[in-house]
Amino acid sequence: MKTLIIVPAYNEEQNIPSLVEILKQFSYDYIIINDCSTDKTEQLLDEERLNHLDLPNNIGLAGVTQIGFRYAVENGYDGVVVIDGDGQHPPKYIESLLDKLYEGYDYVIGSRYVTNKKPWSLRMIGSRLICAAIAFKTRHKVTDPTSGMRAIGKRVLEDFVQNMNYVAEPDALCHVILKGCKVCEVQVKMHERSSGTSYFVNPFRSILFMYNVMISILLFQW
Amino acid sequence: MNYQQTLLIGTILTIIFLISVIIKTKMDLKYGAIWILWGFVMLVLSLYPRLIDIGSRILGISLPVNTIFLVFIFLLYLISFYIFVMISKMRREIKSLTYRLAVLQKKVEEKENA
Repeated sequence: MKTLIIVPAYNEEQNIPSLVEILKQFSYDYIIINDCSTDKTEQLLDEERLNHLDLPNNIGLAGVTQIGFRYAVENGYDGVVVIDGDGQHPPKYIESLLDKLYEGYDYVIGSRYVTNKKPWSLRMIGSRLICAAIAFKTRHKVTDPTSGMRAIGKRVLEDFVQNMNYVAEPDALCHVILKGCKVCEVQVKMHERSSGTSYFVNPFRSILFMYNVMISILLFQW
Repeated sequence: MNYQQTLLIGTILTIIFLISVIIKTKMDLKYGAIWILWGFVMLVLSLYPRLIDIGSRILGISLPVNTIFLVFIFLLYLISFYIFVMISKMRREIKSLTYRLAVLQKKVEEKENA
């Protein structure tokens, strides 16, 4: 089974080198997708001769991962693992995600809360709401629907390349479960991002994200 | 049928129409969600038409129907402004795509001629 590690990166010049170092130690195939960064990410990728794509426009995380999926399918990969370029997702867990993929699962989520308890921060209350919506729609319990760290098998990949019309991870997950694909979660530990700023510091964006995801799960995924 | 039932049935049909077209045409769900929000606003207004009277009193408009015109025309105004913002963003993106493509073509042609 040929697998590819997809690393979406936007302004991650400080985080990329250490991440790639570890990926090379494990000798994974990887591709870094530079979403039109405004810092020196592009020069860094060129100079270090890292396997990468430079996008001419900033298209956002969902679009970047879709480009990664398409690249994987067109280059004959059977599975992918998505890992954020910001250093939140420790590459040491790739192995356990891939193991589940080999066992025959189609969609493996690296979840922070399989065995660990979910805190009651504002962000996690949002996460609970999304969990409830997914459970209502699919009768399937997930613990970390917003996790971006995922291993995805060929069946789902081909579907995603054909029609990936999602806001973000949770409604894609909902779609996959409704399609009858085998989904499971693996406990991972995520780091605080080592540098740069998160998308969700702006409360208006968080509310918009919640609204879009909830509408997508409840009304657009059947 | 009284006018409230007419409004309600019309709104529900509109929302069903919106959802089915958004799914069928694979519209970008971010934009689809905006139209669903409009549908919800219409649904609430047809369930509680008194909200319009209350709104008129707050805004100091004597005829409630003028409130509807004012508010909805203003919302349409905002949405069309948003569309113009998106169009200019797309023009910018097309420009940079065109540039990239032209540079690539130049490189390929130079390699072929070398």
